[in-house]
Amino acid sequence: MNVKFIILAIILAMAFLTGCTAKEKKIPLEDVGMVGVMAIDYIDENSLKLTVAIPQYSPEAKEHTQIFSVTTELVSQGIVDIEALSDKKVVLNQLRVVLLNEEFVRHGKARGIIKHLFRNAEVGNKVLIAVVKESGEEILKEEYPDKPNINFYLNDLLQPSINTAFNPNTNIHDFIYTQTNPVLDSIVPLLEKKEGKIEINGIALFKGDKMLRSLSKDDALIIQALQGRKKLAPLYINLNDNNKEEKMMLDLINSKVRMKGNKSMDSPKLTVSLKIEGTLVEYKGEREGHLSTHEEILKLEEDINKEIEKDISKFLETLKELKVDPIGLTEKFRMHYHGDWDKTMTRETISKLQWDIHVETSIVSTGTLR
Amino acid sequence: MSTNKRKLLNRYHVVFLVQSTMFGTGVLSLPQRLSSLGYSQALFPLLFGVIASLSIWPMIWINSKYKNENLFRINEILLGKWIGKSINLFIVLQFTLFLAAIISSYMNLIQTTALPEQTLTIPVLFFLLLLTYIVNGGIKSVARFCIMAFFITIPMLYFLRWAIEKGEMSHLFPLFNYNGHEFFEALRKGYLSILGYEVIMFYFPYIVNQKKAYKHALVGIWISIFLCFITTLVSVIYYSEWQLENIEFTVLHLFKAGEFSFIERIDIIGITLWIFLILSTSAGYLWSAKKGLDSLRSKKKKYHVYLITIVIFAVVVMPIPLESQKKLFEGSYYVGYLLLVWPIFLSVVHILRKKQVQQ
Repeated sequence: MNVKFIILAIILAMAFLTGCTAKEKKIPLEDVGMVGVMAIDYIDENSLKLTVAIPQYSPEAKEHTQIFSVTTELVSQGIVDIEALSDKKVVLNQLRVVLLNEEFVRHGKARGIIKHLFRNAEVGNKVLIAVVKESGEEILKEEYPDKPNINFYLNDLLQPSINTAFNPNTNIHDFIYTQTNPVLDSIVPLLEKKEGKIEINGIALFKGDKMLRSLSKDDALIIQALQGRKKLAPLYINLNDNNKEEKMMLDLINSKVRMKGNKSMDSPKLTVSLKIEGTLVEYKGEREGHLSTHEEILKLEEDINKEIEKDISKFLETLKELKVDPIGLTEKFRMHYHGDWDKTMTRETISKLQWDIHVETSIVSTGTLR
Repeated sequence: MSTNKRKLLNRYHVVFLVQSTMFGTGVLSLPQRLSSLGYSQALFPLLFGVIASLSIWPMIWINSKYKNENLFRINEILLGKWIGKSINLFIVLQFTLFLAAIISSYMNLIQTTALPEQTLTIPVLFFLLLLTYIVNGGIKSVARFCIMAFFITIPMLYFLRWAIEKGEMSHLFPLFNYNGHEFFEALRKGYLSILGYEVIMFYFPYIVNQKKAYKHALVGIWISIFLCFITTLVSVIYYSEWQLENIEFTVLHLFKAGEFSFIERIDIIGITLWIFLILSTSAGYLWSAKKGLDSLRSKKKKYHVYLITIVIFAVVVMPIPLESQKKLFEGSYYVGYLLLVWPIFLSVVHILRKKQVQQ
């Protein structure tokens, strides 16, 4: 009896008290503007230009993407400003790509911005980062008539794919990881706007928190190979000695790298052995037509080995000169070192580094024609 | 249910009660708490396991001398009514605060990740309602819930896959480059994460096979330790030392590393599933606190559970300044360490007063 009365009282109270609740402020999904791409351009030491692309799903709208641009000092303040321009509530939950322009990263501002996004729980860690040559705003505002939408286009472009295997696919976690790991320097893909297209035009190499210079695709591919990426982009090789010119393309099936440091801090030496397996897809040169026998192939492999060894050596020489380590070569010395390892030790080690490179190419097949 | 019978807990219940009360919010930030060791922390949970295995032995020993009494009664028998009761009051207060600390830290995490636009009052309320429901079923229902929680949450181990794929194995190479100070700091901060097995002192009288309780408890402890070990291992592989030190909820970011084609944000799923682990941990504590209140007032009353729950709710939701709340919780953590040493003290008293007590 008593219990029944209490329950009745509760139900009645609930029924009458519903009128007292605050008005529900949940926003329906159609009114949420989910930022897909964010571009940040440098203005001066204190301010930046924030541009966002938000997909527009309304069938009545003529454009499929809304682009907003504001000048601001803080990213979140910029988002609030954009909300005043937009008809929707702007959220960062669906952020996929962050573009930073070259001037911005050269001034060493990238770390602060990415750290802010890393801290923000709304933003996932899989957000991809890219550096753009001129202005991120222009990339977003450019017309791409054959592409559905800038959000999809940029995201798909920066996703891992076999033919752009030189692309480090840097996401927020990777960037923070490489920034804060003393044995590594960050690398980020570098984009350039072409007429109606965007091209991944190599990578941007950082030294500390500032962008140092750009690297070509070939150098970027060496970084990926030495970092132990299994699937690499097709390799173009140009054998060019004694006035004989041979050009070929290798489709790489598998690559395997093994690095060993000599544990010495005074005269660091690294032994690198790289094994690659591939098929010869195209060949142009004087050995054409002679490549059917096993011996010939072996000889060609030998030449390729030497060429790649030379390339890697040349690249490492550059790194040594610049005192940067995007590959993590010094990790092989840190892991044997007792005590705290900091960035200056990385610089010192890489500037003293000696190496020994063995490349072992094996051409698995040359196609079905004899 | 068979609530009238005295002996309720079979061996599986014991294993998972021990396991689940240990594994709660602490693990979420375990790698961060151990971060003063840098990459050398990977093996540290194993040391915790050894310490836990040693420190649970006196607990079981003192309990096996008084087969039908829990720690609250043992306190009263050995230390006299008044000292015993005041110690018991202290333990009940500590458990209440400890519970509030667990719940508030988890709820804060939920607020920052899953519900950024809401106040926490309603979620906390629902959580506590569920908690009282589990605890009202008695220790057996708590134990059954622990088993269920374990099997529901264990598939989350799969979510670590991406972090392992991406990580750098060479971080694991053991260097032991830390000094004594850093070692003790990690011990002091990190051991909190595996507290919880001491609750066995309160449900010991309900265990069927008390002679083998130590063995079963050890199994539970080492399951938890193994999971902690995997957590620190993967964190060390995946993070830089700066990240280990500065990311508060390390596990959350581990979950962020991956995605399925049909689920974008695994971290949100992982963190919300974690509520099972929080519930199982706090259920053990709440049940013990309720027993404590029973023994303090020398009568069994159902509303004791509600009393404690209301206090917890008040501590979590009341507008106490965050700073003092934090201090309060930290204090309760360190008092938790005292409870590990307490059985050793009791054993000494037991040996000294053996004859007196048995008369």
